[in-house]
Amino acid sequence: MASQFSGVLQLTDLDDFITPSQECVKPVKVEKKHGKSVARIQIEDDGSYVQVNQDGGKQKLEKAKITLNDCLACSGCITSAESVLISQQSHEELLKVLRNNESSDTEQKVVVVSVSPQSRASLAARFELSSSEAGRRLTSFFKGLGVRHVFDTSFSRTFSLLESQREFVERFQRKEQDGKSLPMLTSACPGWICYAEKTHGEFILPYISTTRSPQQMMGSLVKCYFAEQQGLSPEQIYHVAVMPCFDKKLEASRSDFYLNEAETREVDCVITSGEVQKMLEEKNMSLNDVEPAPLDTMFSSVSGDEFLSHSGSGSGGYLHHAFTYAAKQLFGEEVKELTYKTLRNKDFQEVTLEKDGVVLLSFASTYGFRNIQNLVQKLKRGKSPYHFVEVMACPSGCLNGGGQVKPLPGQNPKELLQKVEELYTAERPLSLEDDTRVAELYQSWLHSVGGERAKELLHTRYHTVEKMTNGLTMKW
Amino acid sequence: MKQNLTLVQRLNAHPDSRCWFVSWSPTGTLLASCGGDKAIRIWGREGDSWICKSVLQDGHQRTVRRVAWSPCGNYLASASFDATTCIWKKKNDEFESLTVLEGHENEVKSVAWAPSGNLLATCSRDKSVWVWEVDEEDEYECVTVVNSHTQDVKNIVWHPTQELLASASYDNNVCIYKEEDDDWECRATLQGHTSTVWSLAFDATGQRLASCSDDRTVKIWKESPLESGDLSWKCVCTLSGYHGRTVYDVAWCRLTGALATACGDDAVRVFKEDETADPKQPVFSLAAQATKAHSQDVNCVAWNPKEAGLLASCSDDGEIAIWRFQEED
Repeated sequence: MASQFSGVLQLTDLDDFITPSQECVKPVKVEKKHGKSVARIQIEDDGSYVQVNQDGGKQKLEKAKITLNDCLACSGCITSAESVLISQQSHEELLKVLRNNESSDTEQKVVVVSVSPQSRASLAARFELSSSEAGRRLTSFFKGLGVRHVFDTSFSRTFSLLESQREFVERFQRKEQDGKSLPMLTSACPGWICYAEKTHGEFILPYISTTRSPQQMMGSLVKCYFAEQQGLSPEQIYHVAVMPCFDKKLEASRSDFYLNEAETREVDCVITSGEVQKMLEEKNMSLNDVEPAPLDTMFSSVSGDEFLSHSGSGSGGYLHHAFTYAAKQLFGEEVKELTYKTLRNKDFQEVTLEKDGVVLLSFASTYGFRNIQNLVQKLKRGKSPYHFVEVMACPSGCLNGGGQVKPLPGQNPKELLQKVEELYTAERPLSLEDDTRVAELYQSWLHSVGGERAKELLHTRYHTVEKMTNGLTMKW
Repeated sequence: MKQNLTLVQRLNAHPDSRCWFVSWSPTGTLLASCGGDKAIRIWGREGDSWICKSVLQDGHQRTVRRVAWSPCGNYLASASFDATTCIWKKKNDEFESLTVLEGHENEVKSVAWAPSGNLLATCSRDKSVWVWEVDEEDEYECVTVVNSHTQDVKNIVWHPTQELLASASYDNNVCIYKEEDDDWECRATLQGHTSTVWSLAFDATGQRLASCSDDRTVKIWKESPLESGDLSWKCVCTLSGYHGRTVYDVAWCRLTGALATACGDDAVRVFKEDETADPKQPVFSLAAQATKAHSQDVNCVAWNPKEAGLLASCSDDGEIAIWRFQEED
């Protein structure tokens, strides 16, 4: 099976042709059971392993299982993680939860789906709809399946953008004391994060913004705030995110986003735009046949029945927002329009703020593995001139994510991407300050802006993955 | 017409180690070798014999798998199992380490300079092929990372005149890459070998490509562009039955058109093309061979670019052998 992860992750992998059962090098912890030390192990006709004790008694042996977390903490292969992922996070899992709800007398889980604006645009392109229209029809489709709420991750992205721009200004102000405060590298792309942790660990991690991605902001919002509001415990909610990217499944599985007390993930399952398309196909449905439904306004960035977006790139607009905010906060400059200068290729762009011939701010966006490489190498040589870098693993960014709906036979992938970009940018941008609902949540949920609660619920941590040096990983 | 391969000199180049690769400088006056001893040695002719002019050490932590001269002859690139590629600059008779290219996840298997000298390609066990661009200040930046192979990429070679790159892999395939809309893409996959493809060589014009494999054959591929403008290469000839073991390397002489092979059966062989054959169905026949060229696997063969018939080979026995291939009337 061809890997669906972003190129960055495919490269960090050592043995992606193996599956966990074949050659996984991760030592598995097995609960030791007391017993006699001498026994025979027998393979039954059904393939199960049975321990035959000296007295002839039989005992079925448990299979050693690798969890996704084992995979993520391991510097070995990636595709092992992929096969584990497929069993844990798929549209089939979502359907299973929904069926379970239907077949029991009481609803087992409250199912909540959060749809990313990039996925909306991708599905809109497939069905020749506007992005908002696709959103209304997706709301209707999911609710028809038994989903209780359909939210929009543009809403949680407002938190990501606000936190990220504040974090940047704070880092900029301590750049003299802290050599690793700048450049601030964005953190919304899980492919990039995984690569950074596995390959450049300690060196690169301090540069990475601690701000959570929109998906995980929504996770916090749904499993903490929303649950409380609804009088539910977090594990009673099954939270699904619809994302343009396969790597987002890895992000949802990080232990940092696991609620230990409630024993549940903030995002239980991530399905890609393409998997939503597959769900429709399996039901022999087209989004064109679905009646649009009114939008769930609780956690959605909407005006009337139209979705609102953010200015800047199709990958969230992190550079745009941090740049305009920093220009204003640090230098009192009102920046109306950003001028992107394309450097080596279209996925490497630069924006600068100059005053009297002096460069005050130097920002860049680097998408795709080749540009990430050059960025990392420049940083290592102390030759990076940037204060802020929007880093995305996919060439062309999130609108071109690996989980987006694939082109139809004969459809030109470049033309499709252009169409998705047009649909995405057609949505009216919302300025962060104008979102009164978010401002209100900062007070009611987080008690203040920039306080401890915000730090805990809206930020995260990264962990170096040590290269394994044990003999098992040796290749001759 | 009688042809033979005579030994000119044998050099104990990388004692107690393997000699992995030899490369002639563009003027043909220097020969660079590299090996399992992590060292690179530069050999030059003095009088009738070849002697070691300098040793480049401390550049790599592990085996140096391959070396390549820049087209101007002023730079040498070395690819190592330590996952890095070193660029060395020649100053008079000395070489100094200029920069280290990092990025590959593990063993770098090969390195090659484009004919312009502005691009450098590397490939690795991490299955990727990278192209780097060099600017006037000797700074290297990665212009692409292509993952078209599903296994270890053994070797890469540039087309002699165009910016076209070919790679050989453990996945039995050869890929041909070209730049398209500011990124590099695999534009053709050459399938036919039934085991690892170890090495590649273009002919002088670049219209044909020779590949050699663990399947003990050498294949000749000819460019045959499709109407759509897409690249396409067809296998026009397979040399089988000559090699007793894996064919590790193939070299196509740009001066004489002779094709040399390095084989795991310790032999060096030279093939000549039958000039009377149909160009669409070329015929190559064995012109000369040294069956015990080395005491172990022969890893590499390289034709001198200026002196017709001068051939270097190297082996797991740590030695370099210099041969003269002659056609006698």
